[in-house]
Amino acid sequence: MNRKVLIPIASIIVFIGFVLLKLDWDGADRTHELWEALEVTAGGFLTLMIFSFLYKDNAFYKFAEHLYVGISAAYWMCVGFWSNLAQQAIPHLSQSLSEALGQPFLGYIWHYWIPVALGLILLTRLLPESMKIGWISKWTLAFIVASTAGLFITANLQANFIAQIASTMSLPLLPDWTGFGDFLSNFDLSYEGQFVKMFSNWVIIIGVISGLVYFFFSKEHTGWFGRVSRLGIWVLMVTFGAAFGYTVMGRVSLLVGRLTFLFRDWAGVIG
Amino acid sequence: MKRQIPLALVILFGWLMLALYFIPLEGAQKINENLLDWTAIIGIFALALGIWSLISVNVDKIQYKKRDWPYSIVTLFGLFAMIVFGLKFGGADSMFQGQESYMFRHFFDDILIPIFSTMFSLLAFFIASAAYRAFRARSALATILLVGAIIVMIRFFPFIAEYTRPVADWIINVPNLAAKRAIWMGVGLGIVATGLKVILGIERSYLGRD
Amino acid sequence: MNYYTEKITRALLPANATALLVALLLACATLNVSAQESVVEEDAVGSALVAPVGVSSVTASDAPNDAGRAVVVTFVPAPVPQSEDQALTLSYEIHRALSQDGPWKKVGAMPSDTTAIMTFKDAGGRDTTSSDYFPTETDLYYRVRSMTVDTALFAESEIAGPVQGIGQWWNSGRSPVFWFVLFFTILTLVFLNVARKRGDSLYIRPLAGIDAVDEAIGRATEMGKPILYVLGLGTASDIATIASFTILGRVSRKVAEYQTDVIVPCYDPIVFTIAQETVRSGYMDAGRPDAYRDEQVYFVTQAQFAYVAAVNGTILRERPATNIYLGKFFAESLILAETGAIAGSIQIAGTDEIAQLPFFVVACDYTLIGEELYAASAYLGREPLLLGALKAQDYAKAVIVVLAIIGVIMTSMGYEWFAEAFKVVG
Repeated sequence: MNRKVLIPIASIIVFIGFVLLKLDWDGADRTHELWEALEVTAGGFLTLMIFSFLYKDNAFYKFAEHLYVGISAAYWMCVGFWSNLAQQAIPHLSQSLSEALGQPFLGYIWHYWIPVALGLILLTRLLPESMKIGWISKWTLAFIVASTAGLFITANLQANFIAQIASTMSLPLLPDWTGFGDFLSNFDLSYEGQFVKMFSNWVIIIGVISGLVYFFFSKEHTGWFGRVSRLGIWVLMVTFGAAFGYTVMGRVSLLVGRLTFLFRDWAGVIG
Repeated sequence: MKRQIPLALVILFGWLMLALYFIPLEGAQKINENLLDWTAIIGIFALALGIWSLISVNVDKIQYKKRDWPYSIVTLFGLFAMIVFGLKFGGADSMFQGQESYMFRHFFDDILIPIFSTMFSLLAFFIASAAYRAFRARSALATILLVGAIIVMIRFFPFIAEYTRPVADWIINVPNLAAKRAIWMGVGLGIVATGLKVILGIERSYLGRD
Repeated sequence: MNYYTEKITRALLPANATALLVALLLACATLNVSAQESVVEEDAVGSALVAPVGVSSVTASDAPNDAGRAVVVTFVPAPVPQSEDQALTLSYEIHRALSQDGPWKKVGAMPSDTTAIMTFKDAGGRDTTSSDYFPTETDLYYRVRSMTVDTALFAESEIAGPVQGIGQWWNSGRSPVFWFVLFFTILTLVFLNVARKRGDSLYIRPLAGIDAVDEAIGRATEMGKPILYVLGLGTASDIATIASFTILGRVSRKVAEYQTDVIVPCYDPIVFTIAQETVRSGYMDAGRPDAYRDEQVYFVTQAQFAYVAAVNGTILRERPATNIYLGKFFAESLILAETGAIAGSIQIAGTDEIAQLPFFVVACDYTLIGEELYAASAYLGREPLLLGALKAQDYAKAVIVVLAIIGVIMTSMGYEWFAEAFKVVG
């Protein structure tokens, strides 16, 4: 026998072995016990199969990957079918159909035919090319892309753009000036102190402007313009570094969580 | 026809959605909500196309015994099993209860969830190797990135954290904010420019050729 | 659905975090109970007092910039009690009625405050069956009740109204957005004209990530390996994905010219459909429609990590010469980019997700940062129209820089109205 047959058979035997080990024969509800043993063993096996990817691509990872793709695609299809079609469109279109799906009929609304029609138009892509009808599917694509583009232009201008300009503009660059003596006597270097605040405001404004200068595409980045743009990319890089460092420290905890499952909940079976 | 109708739809719906943002009137907001509902409904038809693609790619692999074809059987098994378990018919005591089905739930709990959490926890390993990559910084820019990362990471270590925390917090609150704002503004502008190119009908590579 | 969302959350949250949350909630609940008890005690003392003076100057007016389902009520609180036997006002209840004679319905409450003019926004929805229903274009009357510790001891204000909630045709709070859209549209149209006349002679600075695309396609051809193009997890509603389509169109055209392969695994079904159309037309533009196969652009799944698992598999098994990641990316960015780096592919990435940019910068050879992703399509095609639009983008940026400088100077000098004028309300 070659390896291609041997590995799957050996894996199945080991899997059954683990299920049997986990099985509590004295339990009252045998079926329930069996399911529970299957569940925990499957969870552990799949966890190890995915982890095996860290060593190299192998048959176990491929198995888990392909299973995951198939099941998750169907899962999202079922969720999408029930939440978008069965609960949203059909209850407004057909009483008999919505009752057949076990959904309450919510009253006829004609315009729900439009997305259904656009959806069906999209399906013309499945027809053989010789029928020369697939091109009408572009109507649907045009509708979706254009309406979302129109929607996001304004939404983004508000949140990403104008709001950011407005908050950058409202940073004062001068301290509340009440005379030199007062400034010196109140001078402190703490985070809340006026000096640090003013300095930070300057850094933010210079950082924002130099960052924007870096994003200029139609002007050569040479001379003073080039220097400002270089400052801009430095500010961006420091930020990326800070975000990276932050995530490094955070992500380690995720791994700890999964290893806890593997050693406590699952390996507990054998140990 | 092939060219004009999609373009007309683009201009009509693009500018309509843009205009609706400025009109608080109830009728306008209803149109807005309906258009979003429509997109979700169309999405499910598109998903049918997607699932069709998934099936045909895998059937193709099996049929022509392409590399790794046995795994395509696994994908198709998972797909069809889950679709069957997700069916709903035959009243309250039937095995088929849609998303409430026993098997649908258990496939979710016992297969999807463990793989999902394991994939997620892989991030920790990958971040370790990414960190190693970052520490071999070869260019000036990569070195700046590294310095930023080290200052923030030191913030988490005991004993010295007391001294480094103010600096790390300042980096996170000040230059970080400046960089984010610059990126946001640039992105905001890029989005507006791309959006405008779409609804003006200049950019239409997504519609393909005639 | 709740069942499944909860499962996912639980898989991510350690059990002790849940325990902590429950403990906190319990603690809050206990605190709440003791607070209520203290009110009951005061209740017994307060019953001997007389009612307070009611609020004055009650006004009701239609709320601006809305769909007509809100009214703004303002009133002036009564002064603090002058005599000892007068009960203290603890809160105000706002009541609404369809006629002056009632029946009155409580629509909201506010804690007592004696310092300023108080404003209350009575807003609701259009669902007639909901308790939140707000009748539009109907005469409404309002009054304010000053409440004391004793629920039977209160003072009514005079009645304000009639007032109607009326929908507006124009949201004036969003005017800054309108002016900017107008300004930018005009700017774009002007530069499109300039570009038409001047052709492709407009200067654009080099962008390393884009220059690398040509080189990468050449390398793929030499090695006889495909190019992997990942559009990310965005939907067709994300403009980053739309920007990525335009780049995909140009990449697939070049790929077809060089007679090599591009593979595009997709996450979103609509994105998948559009990607097929885009790649097909790229091949047609290159004059090689026969070389295109539908299997090059395929749908995988809509689950984030299942998609990542599959793309990882593709990277390791197909060993693409180049991986291009352009679009919206989330936690998976690191897994994809690291796997690709380990597999030894040349990697070009670009996203507008700030949180993912650091990973791409570390693990990829070239990264398009934020706006560079949106500019890239103009670079690849060098079509005069797109270059013109890019020029308009730059002019808009110059205007922002100038405005920001004027703005901070004005704010520093105490003229805060200038920055305020840019704030979008509602």
